[in-house]
Amino acid sequence: MRQAGTYSGILSGGISGRTGPHSLPLARIKKIMKKSGEDVKMISGEAPIVFSKACELFIKELTQRSWMVTMQGKRRTLNKEDVTSAVVATDIFDFLVNLVSEDSGNTVDATPLEMDTFTSSS
Amino acid sequence: MEGESHGNVPHGPNKRSPESPCVKSSGSSNNNHPDNNNKEQDRFLPIANVGRIMKKVIPSNGKISKDAKETVQECVSEFISFVTGEASDKCQREKRKTINGDDIIWAITTLGFEEYVAPLKLYLSKYRDIEGEKLNIPKQQRSEQKQQQQQQQPQQQQSEHEHNLPYNSSVYSSTNLLSHHPSFVPSDQPFSLPFSSNSIQKQLQQQDQIDSMGHW
Repeated sequence: MRQAGTYSGILSGGISGRTGPHSLPLARIKKIMKKSGEDVKMISGEAPIVFSKACELFIKELTQRSWMVTMQGKRRTLNKEDVTSAVVATDIFDFLVNLVSEDSGNTVDATPLEMDTFTSSS
Repeated sequence: MEGESHGNVPHGPNKRSPESPCVKSSGSSNNNHPDNNNKEQDRFLPIANVGRIMKKVIPSNGKISKDAKETVQECVSEFISFVTGEASDKCQREKRKTINGDDIIWAITTLGFEEYVAPLKLYLSKYRDIEGEKLNIPKQQRSEQKQQQQQQQPQQQQSEHEHNLPYNSSVYSSTNLLSHHPSFVPSDQPFSLPFSSNSIQKQLQQQDQIDSMGHW
């Protein structure tokens, strides 16, 4: 089973930057952390490791929510608009709203009331 | 295994610059700026890794468009920046220079991702145990070898398996957390069937390696 290999991966790989059991490259995570602000100077070895797990959980949650939108549309391909919808619909993803709306080039209406006003033309 | 090593992604992160979103459609403009390409790649986690994780939570017949992967890629980087910013602020307030794993976990909680905390703490504590093992090898190995022997002896008897199960299941599930989503418990784990001694014996034999390396 791969659990034994996973453990030995941690021991030998440690925080050397191997993707091994962490599934996301630690060096890259560290780079992104450093870019987040001028004040970020010293990062402990375990911080990227925690992030590698946290990012995995984040990706999974975002994907699951996006897939629900895909299914509602009776489609089998998860596209960017599904991700955008999931972001808009989830409170804790509020920090992403500007990011996903910039990407699509559209301003995303987080308040459905406004949309109803615009569409009720009859 | 990283995304940039694959040359078959013409519209990958190389071509993305948020300042000019229309650049995505024109493939040639960024080729003249290799520095931009490198910087762009550094801003995101590899799309192959991101895509792989995404696939784990959708049905096997589901598909993911490339722009969806790119969007999630950007969101993850934003997530990292967001959390790091909070953690960094905390360290500044407390006049500490180094952001550690606990700061990250605190920031994640503060920003509303409390559900992540339990598996993260587990992950971090196991990582710390293993790193501690590296420094204190002799004593801990001896004590764990004794525990191993105590576990292996009743291996033949089915009645003992029930006593071993809580220990096995906790170690087993914790190792699963390294590669699996915590809420995503595989249904084929042998320890859920206490009377199947063969599968449990397999676990115990493999856990020899796990135990000697460090359990918690």
